[in-house]
Amino acid sequence: MTEVVVRCSGVTRTYQDEAVPVYALRGVDFEVRRGEFVSLAGPSGSGKSTLLNVIGGLDRPNEGLIEVDGINLNDLSQSELSDMRLNKMGFVFQAYNLIPVLSALENVEFIMQLQGVGAAERSERARAALASLGISELEHRRPGELSGGQQQRAAIARAIVTNPVLLLADEPSANLDSHATEELLELLQRLNEERGVTIVTATHDPMVMSYAKRRINLRDGTIVEDAISAAALPAVR
Amino acid sequence: MPLKLLVQLSARNLSRHKRRNFMLLMAICVAVGGVTFMNSLIRGFQYDMQESAVANLTGHVKILAPGYLDDPSIAKSFKLAADWQPDIAAEELEGWAARIRIPAVIMSERETRGIQFVGVDPAQESISFLGDADYDGQSLRDASDNRVVIGRALAEQLETKVGRRLVIITQGADGLNREAGFRIAGVYDVEGTGLEKIFVFTGIKMLQQMVDAEVFTEVSIKLAGTPREFSVKVALAEFFTGLVVLDWQELEPQAAAMFLFADAAIFIWFLIMMGALIFGLVNTLITAVMERVRELGMLRAVGMRPGAVIVQVVLESTFMMALGVTIGIGMGVGLIFWAGDGIDLSEWAQGMEMAGMRSVLVPRLMIADLILVAGLSMVFGVLASLYPAWRAVKINPLEALRR
Ligand SMILES: Nc1ncnc2c1ncn2[C@@H]1O[C@H](COP(=O)(O)OP(=O)(O)OP(=O)(O)O)[C@@H](O)[C@H]1O
Ligand SMILES: [Mg+2]
Repeated sequence: MTEVVVRCSGVTRTYQDEAVPVYALRGVDFEVRRGEFVSLAGPSGSGKSTLLNVIGGLDRPNEGLIEVDGINLNDLSQSELSDMRLNKMGFVFQAYNLIPVLSALENVEFIMQLQGVGAAERSERARAALASLGISELEHRRPGELSGGQQQRAAIARAIVTNPVLLLADEPSANLDSHATEELLELLQRLNEERGVTIVTATHDPMVMSYAKRRINLRDGTIVEDAISAAALPAVR
Repeated sequence: MPLKLLVQLSARNLSRHKRRNFMLLMAICVAVGGVTFMNSLIRGFQYDMQESAVANLTGHVKILAPGYLDDPSIAKSFKLAADWQPDIAAEELEGWAARIRIPAVIMSERETRGIQFVGVDPAQESISFLGDADYDGQSLRDASDNRVVIGRALAEQLETKVGRRLVIITQGADGLNREAGFRIAGVYDVEGTGLEKIFVFTGIKMLQQMVDAEVFTEVSIKLAGTPREFSVKVALAEFFTGLVVLDWQELEPQAAAMFLFADAAIFIWFLIMMGALIFGLVNTLITAVMERVRELGMLRAVGMRPGAVIVQVVLESTFMMALGVTIGIGMGVGLIFWAGDGIDLSEWAQGMEMAGMRSVLVPRLMIADLILVAGLSMVFGVLASLYPAWRAVKINPLEALRR
């Protein structure tokens, strides 16, 4: 039996918009198991980012339960949520993933500094992460000296270097051309298949969806389709 | 808390907007350097004024007969045993002098002036301005010298000079006027003309003879080191029952008020400079936080704790301040050494001499003032960062990343 990494049940998130509540999520139920590569799809405004943010503990639902790695996020304080994000999750955002005054290597190292990892182990792991994403030779460049695709790779290195139970990526390819997107997706796929990293992305991009093993379609804050890609089936452990 | 990371981030962030931060740094340097230099001038002024007040025949502590201050005459005098010595530890005592100081009229062939006629033992007067005055002619030889020394300004008024004779009229112990002729042994020169016009000196024995009484009107005591006027006063008051013991603050209330004012001026001056600076600092920090909203939001999103965000902003401000304070104090101290010989104010000094000041303002460096400026500046640096830090910690990572 595969372990459940994310469990959502009855998750509802509303925004109060001039007295009329806007439902970003209405009663979402689903689970993500270890080793899955899930893509949240759906039209703009369907609630993809909101769902990702609630799972990542960046946003709190109005109703419903979210468990990540067996921990109920509703029970956690703000700083406990901070620690949860730091130690159990990796984030890749659409942009602004990196700190401009730090080099690529330092950008990967700093997350471990927050965790209190010692200096020697830190630089060793950071170098290994950069190497696995194929950007070793760029380690001393600052983000401003990297292309969009290179920046996103450094961001993924930062996100996986802590060995998170869950990698969350919201529109990771939005600022990339199709070639860079393809490279990025191949990297994510490799991380998923070779290292068993659990990935949840939110995207518009059909190419991203095609790489994911499981596709969840959202519309108006509810799941309308949850399909496991036939081609990917044998890879699910 | 990952302090090393925060230190690294804060330090690097300072290099981000070089021109903006350089401007702010310069403002801090100029303010701190200016305050340091200005403080040294205020201190120079303050201690110069105190020294002149004390050297003004006052001393730190003075013993007088009751009523002398209201009616300074030979009637308000006292006797002193020939072997009297103040009962003060040697390392606390710089010196003392027993004098007669009474009003008199002085006449040359051409002019007449009112003066203070002072009988002194020249051996004791190292404690007053008389000790280090410059002379034309000679200074008084000893307590029995029957000549006079007068100030240059008075000599000019009287149109007289060394070697000439003068007539001095004053009241004797019996209340009757005495008149005597004196030869001018020397003309003394001190900074400022105030003293030169007022004080005429002769040997104390001579003056006692003239007023016909073996008495004194004052004993002036100058203390060494950091004067402890109060305890000395108490001890003296116990010994001289029936006499009045006063310290320099009571004798020169104006100078004493100025002395206290100078202490306050240092604070006021500092607060004004810092007050102006703080707006620039707060403004720069807020700008720095606001242009980093996305980055700070991202840091929070990936798990940096709110406390660490606060520390980062506070550190940034503290670094900036520390750098500015270090350079600023260096600049200020440099200025102090550059102006070490003093700034000649003689062009504007007419009024100042009245306040008992010399016309050259010599800066005086006090380590305690440097520590105060450095310490308070750092405190201000931290205070200035609190509001920007609060703004930084209020950043909602979601909203920041959505932008
Ligand atoms: N802070 C907010 N205040 C008010 N309404 C919000 C807020 N955030 C999201 N919403 C609303 O919630 C709904 C879902 O938004 P969400 O960002 O999750 O959509 P999405 O699927 O990620 O869209 P996109 O593909 O454009 O990124 C939308 O109707 C949106 O307008
Ligand atoms: Mg979205």
